[in-house]
Amino acid sequence: MRNHRGNCLRVDLTRHRIIRDVTPDRGLGGRTWNSLTLLREMKPGIDPLGPENVLCVATGPLTGSKLIATCRFIASAKSPLTGYLGDSGARGFFGPEMRWSGHDQIVFTGASDHWVYLWIDNSRVEIRDASHLIGLDITATTVQLRDELHDPDLQVAAIGPAGENLVKYAIISCNLARAAGRTGMGAVMGSKKLKAIVVRGEKPVKPADPRRFDEACTRFQSVIERHREFQARRRYGTTRIMNSLAKIGVLPAYHYQSAVFEDLEKVDADALRRNHVVKSKSCYNCNVFCSRYNYTDASEGEGPEYEAQAGFTVKCGNSDLELGVGVSNVVNRLGLDCISTAEVIAWLMECRQEGLISNADIDGIDLSWGSREALLQIPEMIARREGIGNLLAEGTRYAARHFGPGAVKLTAEVKGLELFSADPRGIKGYALMNAVNSRGGDHYRGEPMIELTDDEDLALRRVGYREAAHRLEDKGKGALVNYAEHLGLLSDSMTICKNISCCMDAMDFELAAEAYSGLLGEEVASDELWEECSYAGQAERDFNLREGLVPEEDTLPARFIDHPIPDGPSAGTIINIRKLVKDYYQEKGWAQHD
Amino acid sequence: MIECDVRTCTGCRMCEVACSCHHFGAVSPALTRIKVVKLEEIGLDLAVVCSSCAEKPCLECPSGALTAGERGQIVLDEELCNACGACVESCPIGAVGFYEDLPLFCDLCGGEIACVNACPTQALSFREDYRDVSLEAFLTNQGSSSQRRAQYCRVRGEALRRSWQNGVRIDS
Repeated sequence: MRNHRGNCLRVDLTRHRIIRDVTPDRGLGGRTWNSLTLLREMKPGIDPLGPENVLCVATGPLTGSKLIATCRFIASAKSPLTGYLGDSGARGFFGPEMRWSGHDQIVFTGASDHWVYLWIDNSRVEIRDASHLIGLDITATTVQLRDELHDPDLQVAAIGPAGENLVKYAIISCNLARAAGRTGMGAVMGSKKLKAIVVRGEKPVKPADPRRFDEACTRFQSVIERHREFQARRRYGTTRIMNSLAKIGVLPAYHYQSAVFEDLEKVDADALRRNHVVKSKSCYNCNVFCSRYNYTDASEGEGPEYEAQAGFTVKCGNSDLELGVGVSNVVNRLGLDCISTAEVIAWLMECRQEGLISNADIDGIDLSWGSREALLQIPEMIARREGIGNLLAEGTRYAARHFGPGAVKLTAEVKGLELFSADPRGIKGYALMNAVNSRGGDHYRGEPMIELTDDEDLALRRVGYREAAHRLEDKGKGALVNYAEHLGLLSDSMTICKNISCCMDAMDFELAAEAYSGLLGEEVASDELWEECSYAGQAERDFNLREGLVPEEDTLPARFIDHPIPDGPSAGTIINIRKLVKDYYQEKGWAQHD
Repeated sequence: MIECDVRTCTGCRMCEVACSCHHFGAVSPALTRIKVVKLEEIGLDLAVVCSSCAEKPCLECPSGALTAGERGQIVLDEELCNACGACVESCPIGAVGFYEDLPLFCDLCGGEIACVNACPTQALSFREDYRDVSLEAFLTNQGSSSQRRAQYCRVRGEALRRSWQNGVRIDS
């Protein structure tokens, strides 16, 4: 594996110069390549929205192969939202197309003085003028590029108005609704005046040892198809999470004030399917096809996934599912991260409830729970930085300071990155993941889903502790999160869908080693994959320490600490995050922060 | 002929992967004889492959390299083919591929059909009654192969989109 280096395209946007290079001498592809590139090549302390930031876009050796769901690309840079390492992956079809073009990693440096897009037609690469695309949303940009280049099959990764206007949680999106959503990679792209990357690729991905590779592919497919949730995931995709979280009492209703949402049945997975889902949608080469196309009187589009569905309903106290779906469609077009956007709106609504801000503070918009006006107007204002949107575009950490200490206390972010739509207090592995991982408040570095299974044999096998199978147990959570981070990093390197590899526990290091060995035609051991993930994970930590991270930041938002979940099936649950973080540090062999 | 149901195609492209792996042992959009159109802005997906159509404009090959086989598939005589690309341009639905100086026609895998077997929603099926299918309505399709496939998909999906407008949902 260490002998394998992919093709790297270096694009200097200041000088409009393109150089061909190779990927780093370590790493497994995707996120591992990007993280090593950033640690080695980026100067510490630079402005994330200045020309010195480096934006890496990578696939991996397995992307676009026969192995199911090897569909993603990973975008990495210093995050404008957190000031630490930022990265995010998008599913869909862009990653495979980029791989077929013969480019495994693209490293953008500098910044253009006018708007451009990068056009990759197999080995031909050009920087082209994009002035005619400015102001267009992600759908219009994609359609326009496919139209003017006379090929509706082109793959486009673009930013919308949010990215152009440097909203700190702007996304890079492909296939209209598949987002590299977290940590503001779209803003970094916007700061470089790069509107889109367009790619056409035709170079075959061929395994060096076809028999071994095919065996790994078949094994993976059968693990997925035998999974107990296989049919449910096909039917509902991630939207089934809403009912699961309601059952265990960790819904974030009214911005984490209640774990019970009285109108759950109006906004849950069945309601969505009954009222708005018209067909199933899929990412590249996936037998789960968990995505869905929605159709309402007002709009249509792919999604929503759980985070948008819950974020724009339960979290904002909104029982009107059609409105929530509509907001999801709008946010996708504008190019905003649905998690951060929902968190900004829900936090504002709680601030108004507590009398910390008035409607006048936010341009007269009605901020009552479930306000149609707020849900429809605020995303537009953020994306275009209009009125109060200009402040909200900076993220909740920054915006809260403007409204005073009371508003700061109500935020739900770690290291500046807004939290997901679940209450971390009742899912302690996820809580720890949010506290310690490399990109801030985020559950998706790797999913410590084993704690939701009650499967003690699985927990023992994967992480060495039976207790780790139970969400309310503290014991074994350090090991669980360490394992989940490794599996997440492996998945982000294979560029495989983490809903399958992590959430379904369908991928492990042994199977991954078989896939890598078969594809590359050299012996890759599972231990070697684990070690490479440890190495890259440590590089990510080193990057953040270099940017000034202190261990005190490895914690949860104050509102969750020492306050129990108020109601529902997990009522009374509190979390000792210090204890969990200490356990994790021990697992990592890091110095204690106390 | 192989037929794709626009109502149940999810656009996953597993058929493309199966096709290119079956014939070439590798994955690439250039190697597949079945191509998935994704009109993302209107939510349509459709796998497009040779329909063994009644018109068969591709058979007007200037070098006489193409004939119709007994299951309706197009058979290429590689010796006679001079790679002029006329067949690629003639197909109204853009179902003829081209790789390394040879046109690519669906050969129905010479038996078990890889793409049909791989389709996870059974949107793809094989029908013996291929002679019924006319593509006359699409003979005026314009543009590149991928643009002609897109025009075909747009028309094939019209009824489906009307049904969505009329309130039909996935489980209706």
